[in-house]
Amino acid sequence: MLKMENVSKIYRTELIETHALRKVDLHIKAGEFVAITGPSGSGKTTFLNLAGLLETFEEGDYYLDGENVRGMNDNQLSDLRNEKIGFIFQSFNLLADLPLYQNIEVPLRYRGLSQADRKQRVEQALETVGLASRAKHLPTQLSGGQQQRVAIARAIAGEPKFLLADEPTGNLDSLMAQQVMELLEKINQSGTTIIMVTHDDKLARRAHRNIQIFDGQVSDLEYSVADDIVKRA
Amino acid sequence: MFRYNLSLALASLQQRPGLTFLVILTLAIGLGLYTTVQTMAFYNSSVPVAHKSENLFLIQVDSREASAEPITEQVSMVDTTYKDAMNLQQWQIPGVTTSLNWNTNGVINVLDNNVPAIRSEILATNSHFFSMFETPFIYGSGWGSEEDSSGAGVIVISRAMNDRLFGGENSVGQLLRIDTLNLKVIGVMADWTITRRFYDRSFAPGYLHEFFVPYRFALNNDLPRNARFNCWSVETQDNPQFRTENLQRLLNSECSWISFWAEIPDQQLATYQTQLGNYIESQKALGRFPREPQMYVTHLQDQVNYYGNRNGYINTFKMISRLFFAVCLLNAVSILLAKFIRQSREVSLRRALGARKTTIIYQYVLEVVLIGFMGGLLGILVSKIGLWGMLNIRLYAVDYTITAQSIAHQYQLNWLLIGEAFLTSILCALLVSLYPIWRVCNISPATQLKAE
Repeated sequence: MLKMENVSKIYRTELIETHALRKVDLHIKAGEFVAITGPSGSGKTTFLNLAGLLETFEEGDYYLDGENVRGMNDNQLSDLRNEKIGFIFQSFNLLADLPLYQNIEVPLRYRGLSQADRKQRVEQALETVGLASRAKHLPTQLSGGQQQRVAIARAIAGEPKFLLADEPTGNLDSLMAQQVMELLEKINQSGTTIIMVTHDDKLARRAHRNIQIFDGQVSDLEYSVADDIVKRA
Repeated sequence: MFRYNLSLALASLQQRPGLTFLVILTLAIGLGLYTTVQTMAFYNSSVPVAHKSENLFLIQVDSREASAEPITEQVSMVDTTYKDAMNLQQWQIPGVTTSLNWNTNGVINVLDNNVPAIRSEILATNSHFFSMFETPFIYGSGWGSEEDSSGAGVIVISRAMNDRLFGGENSVGQLLRIDTLNLKVIGVMADWTITRRFYDRSFAPGYLHEFFVPYRFALNNDLPRNARFNCWSVETQDNPQFRTENLQRLLNSECSWISFWAEIPDQQLATYQTQLGNYIESQKALGRFPREPQMYVTHLQDQVNYYGNRNGYINTFKMISRLFFAVCLLNAVSILLAKFIRQSREVSLRRALGARKTTIIYQYVLEVVLIGFMGGLLGILVSKIGLWGMLNIRLYAVDYTITAQSIAHQYQLNWLLIGEAFLTSILCALLVSLYPIWRVCNISPATQLKAE
């Protein structure tokens, strides 16, 4: 479903080369809820950017839903991003001047869907996140938790196969974080693969699978998390 | 997608209205000055009777005395003598018509005592003047060959004078006086918007003659001759005052003072030139043309080009306005860059949500075209003000000896110039936006979407 083979990412300046990701081999199956943890600067965000096709990589192969993205041009990458990936950011990244409806509509516009299709999908997404009555509100009229739910609605409106969430609860208090997590779990249960970067161990433990990135290298913590659960039990 | 991108472009214009206005203003000021100068240059170099300006020729033959200074360029060559003008206009070459003219003046008055008399310049010419130079008429027409030979008292007047003397009514058939001589109005000219008074070789920009009479009438009644006489020294020893006296002596003299024009079809040009050469030779045999044969057959286009290029101040203005426009465009680049870079987070988000780079470029190009259009609109307004200023400077420069109406048409934008201004504005706006658009489209979305 999402498969990386030997993927490396190097940032080069005139003076130094930084190996942000080193020979990553990773296979994430459809429907998984994966949490990615690691210390600051370890390469978590770089991994998410590569997975989300926002950055290119120097080495290796990356298969997204069976397609090798290596060598794809900008238009192909943009279309793939539009159809297969939904993004959720820590700082929500809503367009402040647009009402919620139009915010959620953005990816659907770029997909070229008809007005009726867009309407149906936006309304459904708003329904899913529990903000159906707020379609005409501006983002600034909502609380942080509500804004993040709008961002989730925008991410799922296009019915992508993957949701990439970068610290989705990082700017929220614990109650709102709890609500957002529950929403993500609900979306995951409906079949969407979720890859979530987080610093919060408690949230990470709620995922099916934990991956740790340390110094650009990826290690699967699937078993140690399982051990932890066993110990706690 | 067009409508969506257009709505985004419009929203983007409103996002930073101050910056948007600044870009538009910068473009408009540069364009306004540029268009002002372009308009002046356009009229400066525009050719009267353009469609046949290469078939209308000024004829000059060097009939001066042997001791005269050599002349090497057409503009310095003398006019035509009365003898030569009479001889040349008698030629019968198929398709060739000729016209001659000189300036005279007089006090014009009408029977209505309530209308004050005015002193005015008058052009003495022949009937072909109106057809060769395609003067427009609102009432009546020019005179015919009969009046040319009889010297009948007929007169063609301008629309402005018709307004002044006859209250704008159709005055054809009305009487009018030059000093004490009665003339009948035969035609009223419509506004003849030529940019230069080419026909009397003055090439003065702006004001034209208001009155036209048959040259034979002017001679029969000995109207004054406001001409520059180039005479053999033997003829001017006793200071003959040809302007107002000694008419017969002038007509028999070797003094050049008449502008002589010929409309010659392309296929007859060689014939005409050969015949003119032969004419000089034949006159030599009669003791005239003592110098090496020299003649100029110069079409109107060439003459206009000469006077157009001679106006150095227009070329200087052109250079200054281009430099100023370039500075304005450079400023517009930095303002647009600042405006677009502020939107890099939004662009990055849209890219992340699936917008292709080409879609973003499309959106910004639309925005820039709108900016260019508005810059063009405001620029045209600025150039209107600029032209109004230049018109007033010109009036001041000639000490208000001409009226604003008589030269206003040279300070007006026409559709061609307006179209050119819009096109320039939009193209320049696109040009200055190339770098800002390239920058904003190539910002890595990943760097912009990180948490603040």
